Amino acid sequence: MAMDKEELKRKIMEFMEKKSGAKSKVYLKDMQRAIPDASPRDIKKAANELVQEGKLEYFSTGSTVMYGIPGKGQPVEQKG
Amino acid sequence: MADKIYEEIQNTQLDEIYSKPYDPELAEKLFNPQKPMENRITDIGPPHYAQFFPPEIKKNYGKWKSHEIVQPGVIKYTSETGDVVYAVRVGTPRLITSDYIREVCDIADKYCGGYVRWTTRNNIEFHVTDEEKLRALLDDLKSRKHPGGSYKFPVGGTGASVTNIVHTQGWIHCHTPAIDASGVVKSVMDELFEYFGSHKLPAQVRVALACCLNMCGAVHCSDIAILGIHRKPPLIEDDRLQYVCEIPLVVAACPLGAIKPATVEINGEKKKTVRVNKERCMFCGNCYTMCPAMPLADHEGDGIAILVGGKISNRISPPKFSKLVIPYLPNEPPRWPTVVKTVKKILETYAQHARKYERLGEWAERIGWEKFFELCEIPFTDKSIDDYRLAYDTYRTSLHFKFTSHVEPM
Amino acid sequence: MADIKKHDTPTVDELKSGPWPSFVDDIYSYAEKHQKQSCFDLMGQLELSYKHKETHWKHGGIVGVFGYGGGVIGRYSDQQEKFPAIWAFHTIRVNQPASKWYHTSLLRKLCEMWDHRGSGLFNFHGSTGDAVLLGTVTEQLEPVFFDLTHQFNMDLGGSGSNLRTPSCCVGKARCEWSCLDTQAICYDLTMTYQDELHRPAFPYKFKFKISGCPNDCVAAIARADCSIIGTWIDDIQIDQEAVRAYVGGELKPNAGAHSDRDWGPFDIQKEVIDLCPTQCMYWDEKEKKLYINNKECNRCMHCINVMPEALRPGKETGATILMGAKAPILEGAQLSTVIVPFMRMEPPYDTLKELIDKVWDFWMENGKNRERVGEIMQRVGLNRFITDILGLKPIPQHVREPRSNPYVFWKEEEVPGGWERDLAEFRKRHPA
Repeated sequence: MAMDKEELKRKIMEFMEKKSGAKSKVYLKDMQRAIPDASPRDIKKAANELVQEGKLEYFSTGSTVMYGIPGKGQPVEQKG
Repeated sequence: MADKIYEEIQNTQLDEIYSKPYDPELAEKLFNPQKPMENRITDIGPPHYAQFFPPEIKKNYGKWKSHEIVQPGVIKYTSETGDVVYAVRVGTPRLITSDYIREVCDIADKYCGGYVRWTTRNNIEFHVTDEEKLRALLDDLKSRKHPGGSYKFPVGGTGASVTNIVHTQGWIHCHTPAIDASGVVKSVMDELFEYFGSHKLPAQVRVALACCLNMCGAVHCSDIAILGIHRKPPLIEDDRLQYVCEIPLVVAACPLGAIKPATVEINGEKKKTVRVNKERCMFCGNCYTMCPAMPLADHEGDGIAILVGGKISNRISPPKFSKLVIPYLPNEPPRWPTVVKTVKKILETYAQHARKYERLGEWAERIGWEKFFELCEIPFTDKSIDDYRLAYDTYRTSLHFKFTSHVEPM
Repeated sequence: MADIKKHDTPTVDELKSGPWPSFVDDIYSYAEKHQKQSCFDLMGQLELSYKHKETHWKHGGIVGVFGYGGGVIGRYSDQQEKFPAIWAFHTIRVNQPASKWYHTSLLRKLCEMWDHRGSGLFNFHGSTGDAVLLGTVTEQLEPVFFDLTHQFNMDLGGSGSNLRTPSCCVGKARCEWSCLDTQAICYDLTMTYQDELHRPAFPYKFKFKISGCPNDCVAAIARADCSIIGTWIDDIQIDQEAVRAYVGGELKPNAGAHSDRDWGPFDIQKEVIDLCPTQCMYWDEKEKKLYINNKECNRCMHCINVMPEALRPGKETGATILMGAKAPILEGAQLSTVIVPFMRMEPPYDTLKELIDKVWDFWMENGKNRERVGEIMQRVGLNRFITDILGLKPIPQHVREPRSNPYVFWKEEEVPGGWERDLAEFRKRHPA
């Protein structure tokens, strides 16, 4: 059952890159829906590790947090 | 097991790190943007609480026997060991500078061995163990004033008083407020000041303020809640929106699903944008959070609603929500006279009519809300009749009502 | 130092007068003394808001420091040309020590750090409980975090869809009513769930609040997804001598909370016995003795509040665990619902943590985006939440009253013979 962590990370990045055309940021929930055969906790851990590795970044919606690929879509830092 | 916690508390000493001087250059030496994980310490959590307990608090942990409010703002705690501690409670504006905190430190160093505590309602508590120090501390606190004449450390907020107003950030720092927070709080507390430093009311009155309906301040269970409200849906900057916002995210941000993507033509050019189903908008500002091209604030539309009768404590009656009695009052910086007058009127009507120990909501329920509106001279409007979720719970389904001036026989 | 630009703020200045501490005076005194441009700009922007009656802040997507998905709230001014010193003015939430005791050595050092790296302004404290550093630029976020962790042994609090910073009342440190070691529980939960506190884990926010008794001084029942409230399961402790002292007028009722108004002499019948919600008390005037039928008591604490020298909570203490409170967004405000009427609270609090794990697993798997625990409880139904998800036995304490509609969703296995029926057999008994 338990998916290999690297395998899981690869699937997350695959999902994120596919998504990033229309919508560059996703909720943890969206990842969990896209990868139903992994447990929500494992996905959370893997996604947070991807952030540590610099492959993903967090994005604040105010009261919740989304994940995005650095440099894609609406920037985290708003200038001007 | 309780003994184990007591032991642990006794053995916890003040961390020596705090007596080392602050090194303003250390962080730049340690942090390397190229290798962000280098020298990084994470997930250490807060410092252990017990190191900040004053010695008498540490020693008497779990041994307190009783307390007495010897005067408004001063609570005397007696331990089974015979030890006595006086807590002196002072109000603060919550939004404070480092110089204000330094002044708190000066006081705590002079009278309290360097220990001080903040309460859940933004009060500060200074602790002393003898009456002589207590008198000196009270005199000292009273003498400290800001240049404009306001007290820096007003003593009070205990017993049957109006204690400090818990509140949010308002125009000082929030992006979706309908009103300011600090200014309204200052205006209301200036007017209710005598009730902060006295025990004249039938019971404690908890006032709270939230600057929009997201209610960071959780005002929904307060005796009197001052709530900022928006009444206009967001603006939509069609020509700019697609460049500064991600449309799918804006659509997803709306908790009521009231936003949908749209395309408009501006000067012959097609622009991607959104449309808001205005009837469904509840003015939460989530779309503005995600999209700066959808501003919500509006000087004519925004104002203040008043909710009353909530409580937290389980005392006598269960905890209850505050009820909306005034749907809208005008937004009037810098002193919000209408809000101040209204809050005072409600407070004093309650003070005049309620029984000893009766909270505002308990009083309103005993006399009936129809009486509450009449006594407080608040016009009843259709806005006080719930039409959101679970509204039926609030309908009158009995003959138990009173004939007030609202009733016009037909 | 560059030239300092001050702004005229006649409207905001009106908040300098009056007795209540003036934040305007405080900020201006500080700004003058430290020549702090960001404070002058902040007051200038506030003046503009007072004039326009509209905010001038925008939200930003920034969430934290590297590797953290919370603790920082991004803010940008929409008046960047007028007030360049606050064009970026982010908030940093610092996890407070449990129940907010401090030593001045920490506070003075913190002030020095924040003068150096930020605006010098604080919210002491934020609604959730954090010590809030108000206003700095993006470049200072990492240095502030390095300072906090290396020079203060402090860490950031929660925001976004993380666990939010747990908070608690003063507890046994200074209150005779506390039935719980509130700080110990708060500290333990905070340390146990550091990952959840710093990195997004849930569909939405999750809050723990711990109050030592049913007076609930941290408003746990109104604000926390998991409210841990101290209570007792045995008898209220009575000191009859002290009861007589209250009756005789030697002790002030309610610890002196009503001292500035003449409410007449203390009347135990009227002020305690008759106000008891369960009518479980009796004052024997002849015997001069107070009787409490503890089996009928619902621990509202009114009598204890009125006569603190005479009455105290029982000795067998623990917590009532409630879940699901939240502010009105979105389905309306909810108070927490009783889940476990009595739980013994001893470190390492495994029973509580097992319960929390079950809730989190279910919520992470089934929760919708922005759905609080209280809302998913409603969506699946309290009965299913208690039995199927938490594996607890349903008891009358879970509800205020039984349902009044008969629309029970029976499960197939609860009905003898199941739902598959033989039509032919039926028609043998009932010709069509």
